[in-house]
Amino acid sequence: MASLIRAHDPADMERYSHRYYRRRYVWQWPIRIFHWVNALSVATLFSSGLYIASPVMAPAGEAFGNNVMGTVRMVHFSAAFIFLVSFLWRIYWFYMGNNYARSGFPMIWKGQWWSDLGRQASDYLRLGRGHIHLGHNALGGLAYTLFVIGLGWAQIFTGLALYSESNPGGRVDRLFGWILPLLGGSMSARMFHHLFAWGFVVFAILHVYIVFYDGLQYRNGLVGSMVSGEKFYKEGDLDHESWLS
Amino acid sequence: MGDFDRPTTYGLLKAHGVDRRTFVRFCSMTAAALGLPASLVPKVVEAMETKPRIPVIWLHGLECTCCSESFIRSSHPIAQDVVLNLVSLDYDDTLQAAAGAQCEAIRKKIMKEYAGKYILAVEGNAPTKDGGVYCTVGGDTFLNILKETAEGAMAVVAWGSCASNGCVQAAHPNPTGAKPVHEIIKNKPIINVPGCPPIAEVMTGVLTYVLTFDRLPDLDRLGRPKMFYAQRIHDKCYRRSFFDAGQFVEKWDDEGARKGWCLYKMGCRGPMTYNSCPTIKWNNGVSFPIGSGHGCIGCSEANFWDNGPFYQRLANVPLPGVESTPDRIGKTAAVLAGVGVAAHFGSHLVRNAVDKKPPEGPGASRDSE
Ligand code: SF4
Repeated sequence: MASLIRAHDPADMERYSHRYYRRRYVWQWPIRIFHWVNALSVATLFSSGLYIASPVMAPAGEAFGNNVMGTVRMVHFSAAFIFLVSFLWRIYWFYMGNNYARSGFPMIWKGQWWSDLGRQASDYLRLGRGHIHLGHNALGGLAYTLFVIGLGWAQIFTGLALYSESNPGGRVDRLFGWILPLLGGSMSARMFHHLFAWGFVVFAILHVYIVFYDGLQYRNGLVGSMVSGEKFYKEGDLDHESWLS
Repeated sequence: MGDFDRPTTYGLLKAHGVDRRTFVRFCSMTAAALGLPASLVPKVVEAMETKPRIPVIWLHGLECTCCSESFIRSSHPIAQDVVLNLVSLDYDDTLQAAAGAQCEAIRKKIMKEYAGKYILAVEGNAPTKDGGVYCTVGGDTFLNILKETAEGAMAVVAWGSCASNGCVQAAHPNPTGAKPVHEIIKNKPIINVPGCPPIAEVMTGVLTYVLTFDRLPDLDRLGRPKMFYAQRIHDKCYRRSFFDAGQFVEKWDDEGARKGWCLYKMGCRGPMTYNSCPTIKWNNGVSFPIGSGHGCIGCSEANFWDNGPFYQRLANVPLPGVESTPDRIGKTAAVLAGVGVAAHFGSHLVRNAVDKKPPEGPGASRDSE
C-alpha cells in the first residue's frame, strides 16, 4: 500500500517514476463485448450441446404437449448464430481496433514473438514475475488463437454442416454441406463436433486460472480489464505498440 | 439409344397379351413410384411405347447378394416387370440360365453389339490389393472384369453400399483393399444406390427413371439419386415427435420402448442416414427397422461399420489404440487441466510460504530494479 500513499507526493513521483503504476485503456468496448458474448454463448452452447448429445429427464405425458429437445436445439442454434456473429465482429475489429486488438496474433515470423513466448512460459512455470504486457503476451495470444479462434471456427464449420442436414438442398447445405463427406460422414462430423466442444472446457479452466494468477501476480488489473478495458503497468513494461505496427 | 432392334416395353407386353388399359395402369403405377405427377404419365407411356428396352449387364463382385435378394422383391413396379419388360437384363450371373463359358460369351457379345448403349449394374465391389486376386469370376479378377465392362457402358449403376461406399469388406482394416466403384471407374456417369441392401422399389425406380427419361436422375453430391436419398430417415420418421418432445427409449424393455418413443439414445442412426425407409418401407411396405422397434444402423451411409458400436449414439474417437468416446476423452483432458492448475497454484503457495517474504503491494518484486 506504500506506493499508493506516495502517489500523492509529486516529488517522489518524479524521482521514482518507475515505481508508479500507470493506467492504459487497452481493451476497447467492442473487444469486451466480444469477450462476454463469447463466454455466454460458449457456456450456453456447451450445456445445450451436452443435452442434445445425451438427453436426460424425459418429460411425462404425450409428445404433443412437450418440446424439450426442440427447445434445447433452438437455444443451441440461436447461441451458435450469436457466436458466429461475434466471431465475424471480431474479425472486423481485428482490422479496425487499436493495436491491442491485434496483439494476440501469433507473429511466428518475428524473433521477438518467439522469445516472448519462451519468457512468458518460463515466468509462469518458475512462478516468477516478468514484464506486464499491455495487450496479449505471446503465450496468451497463442492459446487464444488455437483454442478460441481455431476451435471456434472448427465448431462453426462442423456445426453449420450438421445444421444443414435439416434442410437438404437449402442455402446452408449448399455452402457447408460438403464438409460432411470430408470428415467421413455425418456420424463422424458429430463425433468431432462433440470432441472439439470439450476443448472449450479445457480452455475455460486454464483461462480463468491464468487470468486470476497473472492478475494477482503481476498486479496489472487483468481481471477487471475485461470490464473496464484498463490495464495497469509501469515504466519499462512491454507495450505492443513497439512490436506491432 | 433407339436404333437397335429390340422390342419396346409395350410391344413386349402386347405380345404377351396385355391389353392397353392394363398397360396404362402399369405406367401410372410406375410414375407414382418415381414420385412423378400425373401430368407426366403420358411421358412414361410414350417411353414404354416407343423406346427399346435398355440392355443391362449386372455384375457381382465382392458382395453377399442381398441387393439381388432385395431387387427381386420389388413390388412397385414388380421386379418381373422390370426384368422382363422395362430393361433387358442380358447378363446376371446369379439370375441367368446360362452358366460357365456360355455366360461369359453373352457378356462379351453385349459389350460388342451394344457398345456405349448398355447400362452396367454393379453389385459388390472389387478388392484391389495384390492385383485383385481376392475376387475372381470365370478365371479373371473382378477388378479387370469391372474395368473392362465399364469401358463400353453408357452409365454405371452402383448397387448397394458395397458398390457405392465400400460396406463391410472395406471396413477397417480393409484387408483386401476393397474399393467402391466410383474409386475405380472414373470416366463414366455413376449412380450410387447405397443401402445394405437398397430398398427394392428404389432399385427398380432408378432403372425405370433412366428408361423413361433417357437420362440419369438428379444426383446429390455423393452421386445418390435425390428423389430417394435427399432426406434423412430422421426427418421422415414417425417417432420424430417423441424426439422433439425429449422422450427417449433408455432400455429395450422400458416404458418408453413400449410407448414407441424415439430410439435416439439406443444408437439410432436416423439423424445421420439418408434413405427412404420411413416412406417406402420394406417388404411391400410392411415395416422398416424403426417401425419394428429397433434403431436405424445407417446401412446406406459410408463407413457405417466403422462408426460403431451400433447401440452407442456417438462414434468412438478414431485414434489408434484408443477405444473411447469423445466424452471420456474430453473429461480426461478437463481433469488433467484441473490437476495442472491445482499443481501450479499449490507450488505458488508453497513458494510464498518458503520465501517467507511474500511479495506485497503492487509489483513489489520489480521495485528493486
Ligand atoms: S427413432 Fe431415430 S430416426 Fe426416428 S426420430 Fe428417433 S432418432 Fe430420429
